Amino acid sequence: MVRNSTILAAAVAAAIAAPASAQTLDPALKDYKQVSGVSGSIKSIGSDTLNNLMTLWAEGFNKMYPNVKVEIEGKGSSTAPPAMVAGTAQFGPMSRPMKSAEIDAFEKKYGYKPSAIRGAVDALAVFVHKDNPIQCLSLQQVDAVFSKTRKGGTNKDAATWGDLGLTGEWASKPISLYGRNSASGTYGYFKEVALFNGDYKDSVKEQPGSSTVVQAVASDKFAIGYSGIGYATADVRPVPLSSKTGEKCAPANAAAAYSGDYPLARFLYIYVNVNPNQPLDPVRGEFIKYVYSKQGQEAVLKDGYFPVTQAIAQEDLSAKKLM
Amino acid sequence: MTSTPFDTVAAKGRAQSSTRVRTTDMKAVGEPNLWAFGGALAFGCVMILGFLLLVFWNGVTTFWPKPLIVVTQADGARVAGEPFRAEAFRPGPEVLATLDPATRKVIADDGGLASRSLYRIGNYDIYNEDFRWVSDFSVTDTATPSGMMFIERLEWGPFIGRIQGVTIDDQERPALVGDRAGLAAAHDAARARWRQIRHIERNLIGDINHRLESERLAVRRIAIRQGEGTPEHTAALQRFAETEKVLQAEYAKLAADAQALKAEDARTRITLAEIGGAEKTINLSSVVRMYPANDLDLMGKLAVYASRWWEFVSDEPREANTEGGVLPAIFGTFVMTLLLVVVVAPFGVITALYLREYAKQGRLVAIVRISVNNLAGVPSIVYGVFGLGFFAYVLGGSIDGLFFPERLPNPTFGTGGILWASLTLALLTVPVVIVATEEALAAVPRSMREGSLACGASKWQTIRNIVLPRAMPGIMTGVILAMARGAGEVAPLMLVGVVKLAPELPLDGYFPFFHLERSFMHLGFHIFDVGFQSRNSEAGKPMVFVTTLLLIGLIFIMNISAIVIRNRLKRKFAGSQF
Repeated sequence: MVRNSTILAAAVAAAIAAPASAQTLDPALKDYKQVSGVSGSIKSIGSDTLNNLMTLWAEGFNKMYPNVKVEIEGKGSSTAPPAMVAGTAQFGPMSRPMKSAEIDAFEKKYGYKPSAIRGAVDALAVFVHKDNPIQCLSLQQVDAVFSKTRKGGTNKDAATWGDLGLTGEWASKPISLYGRNSASGTYGYFKEVALFNGDYKDSVKEQPGSSTVVQAVASDKFAIGYSGIGYATADVRPVPLSSKTGEKCAPANAAAAYSGDYPLARFLYIYVNVNPNQPLDPVRGEFIKYVYSKQGQEAVLKDGYFPVTQAIAQEDLSAKKLM
Repeated sequence: MTSTPFDTVAAKGRAQSSTRVRTTDMKAVGEPNLWAFGGALAFGCVMILGFLLLVFWNGVTTFWPKPLIVVTQADGARVAGEPFRAEAFRPGPEVLATLDPATRKVIADDGGLASRSLYRIGNYDIYNEDFRWVSDFSVTDTATPSGMMFIERLEWGPFIGRIQGVTIDDQERPALVGDRAGLAAAHDAARARWRQIRHIERNLIGDINHRLESERLAVRRIAIRQGEGTPEHTAALQRFAETEKVLQAEYAKLAADAQALKAEDARTRITLAEIGGAEKTINLSSVVRMYPANDLDLMGKLAVYASRWWEFVSDEPREANTEGGVLPAIFGTFVMTLLLVVVVAPFGVITALYLREYAKQGRLVAIVRISVNNLAGVPSIVYGVFGLGFFAYVLGGSIDGLFFPERLPNPTFGTGGILWASLTLALLTVPVVIVATEEALAAVPRSMREGSLACGASKWQTIRNIVLPRAMPGIMTGVILAMARGAGEVAPLMLVGVVKLAPELPLDGYFPFFHLERSFMHLGFHIFDVGFQSRNSEAGKPMVFVTTLLLIGLIFIMNISAIVIRNRLKRKFAGSQF
């Protein structure tokens, strides 16, 4: 966990001061320039968290290149690697980095590793009902709520809201848990970072989609659930989190995600099948460039996530020899 | 309760009458059964009617323009938006602590309950939220001021606020701000220009890209067949370079045209201001529709309502399917169901004919029949897995290897598509047709067959001229049932070809016109997607009902037409029998 957020913080803060306001783009991001001769088809299979963002990118890309066919399926990050190995998809959006087993399977088929591009930043949010007065949770508390093994180091299970410090009518009410299904990258990431690789409680109600988690929390006053920040609605509230008990909690916003104060900030990846010994075909190359353009990152804002900076864009683009 | 003499008399009377009834056995009369059956029927009808009414009401009211309410709160903050829904809630102690004693007393008198309303405030680009809850006790004033505009945009969702200024061809035109007719004319002109840009980009440039792509594939095909570096390949490469040059020149010209139009388009802008005063300037052409929500009369509202419905059924989706229309989904559902019928009807009927008319009725046929009946009970997702594994990967993969090697590694048939989806659903529904057809064939009287055979007709002639016409209405019923089941099925489709966004219809102007390998959109999946996958599930809810209404309507229309066709056939065959 520390590893993840430090990398993210370092990457973002490295070249440019993080954007001051939550909702601005890095002004260094370039306008996308249309080139000629781009056609063909793109198929993307993977993350549900990234499903809408991929669609927005596809819509924007289609506006530039009307004859490029873009098809998008999003049923969970774990569906991306098999689809890429089978060759049914060229893009595999994932809300977690690929596991080494998945990379190995890919390498066995193609002889090289898949390339990852970091398209957006997400603050994986822990949502509660809008009437819930809770102000701050540490990762250890989150672990005590969601995990049965409690590897975070707390020895007391949190079964009621009273265990998290709430009083009044909340004190005796059991916490109702919502989460994602195991195909989801969000499930894997949350398990790794917030549960310290422990096991989920059996009482976590696994939902098939990010939005479903939010809807479930919205309709259940005593619920808590985790999902991408982009799916927030007026009926739920993301709880500020701290990485250690006693530390100051950081809200799930762009500034805290960039600085690394928010402990569940993560990159959202798109994996691409790029043969390092061959030039990337124009459709895929242009799509990646589009993702890192001003228009592409504006779509990120539109979907409720946080844009990446030009520094990251530069790094990933030059790694793919696109700049 | 005290008992009066009258009660006692009545009770005695009831007792007497019940003893009288019991003289004839209750079971024999069947009275309780009748009540139970009738009650069950009534219950079922009420459930179905209630469901249809719920969908219908929610679907029909979604597009109706609602007033825009400006709410002033105690702290001076103002919120403008469409009222969405309201609920009662119990403010917590930390909320109560911030209130003045009078409000606290009102809430306490109501048993600790207060109410709040959800407003759709739009302006996502400015607020970073599109809905907001407002507690009623914090409201000092509500108004529906004239001049508040609801502006639907191509991007970022609706804007709610006032028009601050209009610029046409870089000339500021303050007169147009209040002039609705003039603004509408300017808007129409801007939209026409936008459509022209889209036509150039999509149709004309799209055509060039299509030709370029097919040339490129042709070269690859030659490279694969003849080998790279062979004279044929070199010649093809040369030809390709020439064609490419010509097409690039055409492309450059069209792109310049589009660019010029876009530059012209950017000179016509509209400046909007939200309730707090923040301004936003956008191209007038990126406004889909705007109306002064509080100043509309009934005709105006009807016009907005009709135009929204028209956009919904005739346009493509925008903004990750949360806005715009569902035309590709309607088309996908329709084409898939038609393909399904084309496949399932002959297969089912031929199978049933063989089973009933030709096969020797023995143990084997009995086993086959049981298997067919059991097939109908297999969960549909199992068919989806089979379709993906067998049709898409095995069949489609070999088709790709044999016929489309130049496109690999991009699969053509080797992934989900409308053909595989239709075939999967055909498998799913074929038992329905087989069973219905067998029943229909069995219902043809033996005497008729024997008569025909006695007249010297062969077995096939008998089937063709006597049995099939008589059985036709029953067969059609089976096909209709299969169609109804297939059109509403979603689970297996998610595995074999339905996608969230398929930019191209399975039918278009390029050879071979029918593109059976393409993924497609489906209304059923669209409902799932909008309701449970969209960024803002709150905004998605009304669209779920509208799409459901549309899906029910589409299936209804398809079934009705099939029933009409069946009745026609029935009449035709009834007339030709004797």
